[in-house]
Amino acid sequence: MTAYLIRRLFQMALVVFVVSIFMFLLFNIAPGGPLTGLQQQQRRITPEERARIRAQYELDLYWPVRYTRWLVGWPTGPIVINGQEWFANVPLGCYLEATPAEGGGCHEYVYLSDMPRLHPPVRSSKGILFGDFGQSTVVQAGRPVWDLLTSRIWATVELQVISLVLSLVIAIPLGIYSAVHQYSRFDYTFTTAAFIGSSMPTFFFGLLFILIFTVLAGRVQEVWPWWPTLPPGLREAVRPYDVASWLTRVQPGSPIDRFLHLLMPVGVLTIVSVAAWSRFLRSSMLEVLRQDYVRTARAKGLVERVVINKHALRNALIPFVTIVVLQIPLFFAGAIVTETIFAWPGMGRLYFDALNRSDYNIALAFIYVTTILTVFATLLGDILYAVIDPRIRYS
Amino acid sequence: MKTKKFLLLSLLIMLALVVSACAAPTAPGVAPAPSDQEAVSDVEDFTTPHPILSDIRVRKAIAHCIDRDALIASVYPYVDDPSALLMDSFLPKTHWAYSGPYDFPWYDPEAGKALLEEAGWTGSPVRSNANGDILSLKFTTTSAQFRQTWSAVMIQNLAACGIQIIPTYAPASWWFGDTTGLSRRDFELGAFAWVGQADPSGRTLYACDQIPLPSNNWEGQNYMGWCNPTASDAIVRANNTLIREERIAAYDIVQREFAKDVVSIPVFQRAEAEAWSSNLTGIIPDATEYATTNLHEWALADGGDTIVIGMTQEPDSMWSLVSSMAAQRLVDRAAVGVLYSQYNYDFQPGLQGELSTLESGLATNEVVEVTAGDKVYDATGTAVELAAGVRVIDSEGNEVEYSGEGTVQMNQLTVTYKLKPFTWSDGTPGVVADMKLGVDIDCNPDSGATTYDLCNRIGDIATDVTYSDSELAMTIVWLPGNQYPLYHLYPFNIYPSQRVLSDGRVLADVPAAEWATLPEVAERPLSYGAYVVKEWNKGQSIVLEANPYFDGEVATPNVIYVFVADTNQAVAQLLNGDVDYLDDSTLGAGAEVQTVIDAAESTGNVQYEISASSTWEHIDINLATK
Repeated sequence: MTAYLIRRLFQMALVVFVVSIFMFLLFNIAPGGPLTGLQQQQRRITPEERARIRAQYELDLYWPVRYTRWLVGWPTGPIVINGQEWFANVPLGCYLEATPAEGGGCHEYVYLSDMPRLHPPVRSSKGILFGDFGQSTVVQAGRPVWDLLTSRIWATVELQVISLVLSLVIAIPLGIYSAVHQYSRFDYTFTTAAFIGSSMPTFFFGLLFILIFTVLAGRVQEVWPWWPTLPPGLREAVRPYDVASWLTRVQPGSPIDRFLHLLMPVGVLTIVSVAAWSRFLRSSMLEVLRQDYVRTARAKGLVERVVINKHALRNALIPFVTIVVLQIPLFFAGAIVTETIFAWPGMGRLYFDALNRSDYNIALAFIYVTTILTVFATLLGDILYAVIDPRIRYS
Repeated sequence: MKTKKFLLLSLLIMLALVVSACAAPTAPGVAPAPSDQEAVSDVEDFTTPHPILSDIRVRKAIAHCIDRDALIASVYPYVDDPSALLMDSFLPKTHWAYSGPYDFPWYDPEAGKALLEEAGWTGSPVRSNANGDILSLKFTTTSAQFRQTWSAVMIQNLAACGIQIIPTYAPASWWFGDTTGLSRRDFELGAFAWVGQADPSGRTLYACDQIPLPSNNWEGQNYMGWCNPTASDAIVRANNTLIREERIAAYDIVQREFAKDVVSIPVFQRAEAEAWSSNLTGIIPDATEYATTNLHEWALADGGDTIVIGMTQEPDSMWSLVSSMAAQRLVDRAAVGVLYSQYNYDFQPGLQGELSTLESGLATNEVVEVTAGDKVYDATGTAVELAAGVRVIDSEGNEVEYSGEGTVQMNQLTVTYKLKPFTWSDGTPGVVADMKLGVDIDCNPDSGATTYDLCNRIGDIATDVTYSDSELAMTIVWLPGNQYPLYHLYPFNIYPSQRVLSDGRVLADVPAAEWATLPEVAERPLSYGAYVVKEWNKGQSIVLEANPYFDGEVATPNVIYVFVADTNQAVAQLLNGDVDYLDDSTLGAGAEVQTVIDAAESTGNVQYEISASSTWEHIDINLATK
């Protein structure tokens, strides 16, 4: 097991490294970037101004140099040994591009000796490997990416954990019951609902909920006075509000306010997860229920509840573990569409914003952490396999 | 085994990429040997007249064939009067520099067809000429649904006249890219928008020397390649005189030539909508000023003490020097202050008690003699040392080339900018040092500003900017030749020089490179305006409270900006009564506006205003080809 773990950790480190370098490359070769539209905003822009602005985003450096600066915060300037500077004249990028009339190429290079001036330490990252995610360049210009991540992560964790627990609590019994009562009226109804739930996009349910519980709630109340008007978004209200005649005025920031704001986004995430997971568990259960050992258990005269819960469910849950474990990265990554629709101030919305506005430092930090969590979640899933299924050995 | 091969291959690819990126750089001035293909042609790209579009009859026909009312109806079905959005020049009809109407070709498909026949384009359904060339043009714009919608109507209109259009809906990142699309003039017909401003400027758009070409490293924004000497001279003149009547006359010439040559078709001004709760009063909708400029006058009819404003964007920084976001300005105008306002395409004083116009006596524009070696502002709008060959605008308004000897007479502006006495939100009175700090930081190359255009118009910040000992005033001696039309507006920010930071340092002592990272600058700046930032909950809200030292009445003591990310969500919040106001950048002009209109008509709980935006859609016609 130890050798297996060591081998896996090495592979994981390699995967993270390869992902990071490819993501960095993709961001840098994709069209657009933080300077897109600059000329539309600022009608007159000289080559010198463009060069200065490019340098602010480190676009004056060759991308491998940008990558090493992002990864380990190096290079920052000439290497000094015994007071003597080495490699000071090594070009690391092009500060000012030459015009075609000048023959193209570079008019003014960035040399190693220029780094402290053009890219001062106060604006540079110490390297993501050392826990410094650098500064946001666009979304919150000049502010540490880490601050932005920590300001958003708890909102996402809250949303994801609650919807995960609810999904499990609902999906597992539903899947079991549906499998045990295959082809029953319940099974047909449930299957239809699950197909609808898993085939409709999350934004459909999001907008539908907002329509029913907010925009049209007043009209519904004309028929059913008890119908609640739910807050359409955000994490908490900013002013007192009424929900229904049967509930006292809700104060902003109160537990009931937080609960009401969670209802719709959690509802959407739960519907989608329950629809998919319960179908998965149903299939898994059906497969297990047809196994010989289940027949043997029944033949032994065991109570059906024991056969289902003790013998069938444990094995049916094995493939289900993979799905659940892979939810772990979502605790960090969030749910981009749901968070955007409900104005939930979480990680998914931050990532969406960062991508839209070419804030590479935020987007890369997001992908980097999500990658690490994904490979760890995969490892955890594999270990749990061995725990759940005694037949599996990694030695 | 396969995995190992794959990993090895991946590593080799990465190595190759790294090597290619770090390849030995080409020295400047050393051009690579021309390929055979390049050697054949000595003609620069985009200097060859376009075989179809260089014919003015075809351009006029295109304009005649486009039914702009139908285009407007396709994207703004709720606009009752499309004519309010139509333009016949590059300026809105309400602009002070507009002197129309101009004789721009309006929708008249029969006239368009006749012009095409006259130009030799005949036949149907797609016209062709005597050589058998088909009248087919490429149309490029962004993939935004809005543009795809109106351009679909335009394509039908042109097809009815026998003009085939091949559309390309490119990603905005390519179309507005630094080295792609529009900036490389990679289009035949290209649609995008310009944002109109109180000062019409336009020099970079319509002057002959502003045509982006490979030889000038693609500088300029005259993407059409339009060089009409009359218009070019006039646009240069309009931007080199400070007398409004002269400017209006010069702009009139440019607009006439623009309409005559039909090098760009102003399709329509965008509609913009803003909406607010019927409980809210005091809103002043305006095309060129942010609504929150008079936020201190907004009041809730039910006596509420908190106004909630919904925004789909969150400001990137509270430091206006490094931010150009509309969302930032919406907060900044209320939470930092207003030096001057710009309602209705014009300017009004704010903390700057009086605009420093020539008429007010606070500015002079005197003739000075300059000679070789003097720093001047040349005819291209660049600060240079006067030397032989430099072209400048002389005091008579003529563009002349300096011979290298003798003197040239040029105009030089000297302007005194005065602020009203004020107190920062921490109780510290504003002082001249705050003005000086503003000049020093805004002109410091390390500050991270996107432009130093104004600083470059001053010869030496240390000597050409002087400060008063007795009042909040500074005087700037601008470079000879700088006839900046907005000279009368206070040109820089002001900062509380004595503010003590959380780390114990004083703001004035902090290097400019660090300013963007300071919470006291980027998140919670002091204010001389009606409000001050109390709290910024990232991703959620910015909370303002009334500035107790504001020189004026504040109708509502608290304001909260909430960030709702999505327009549908914003509208839901408004209809639910969770927010009181949505500005035009949040509400937009899409289908959500109809939801607001329906709600306003059915419940009366909300109000809305739809007006002509300062942003206008247009189709540039590229007069040249590669």
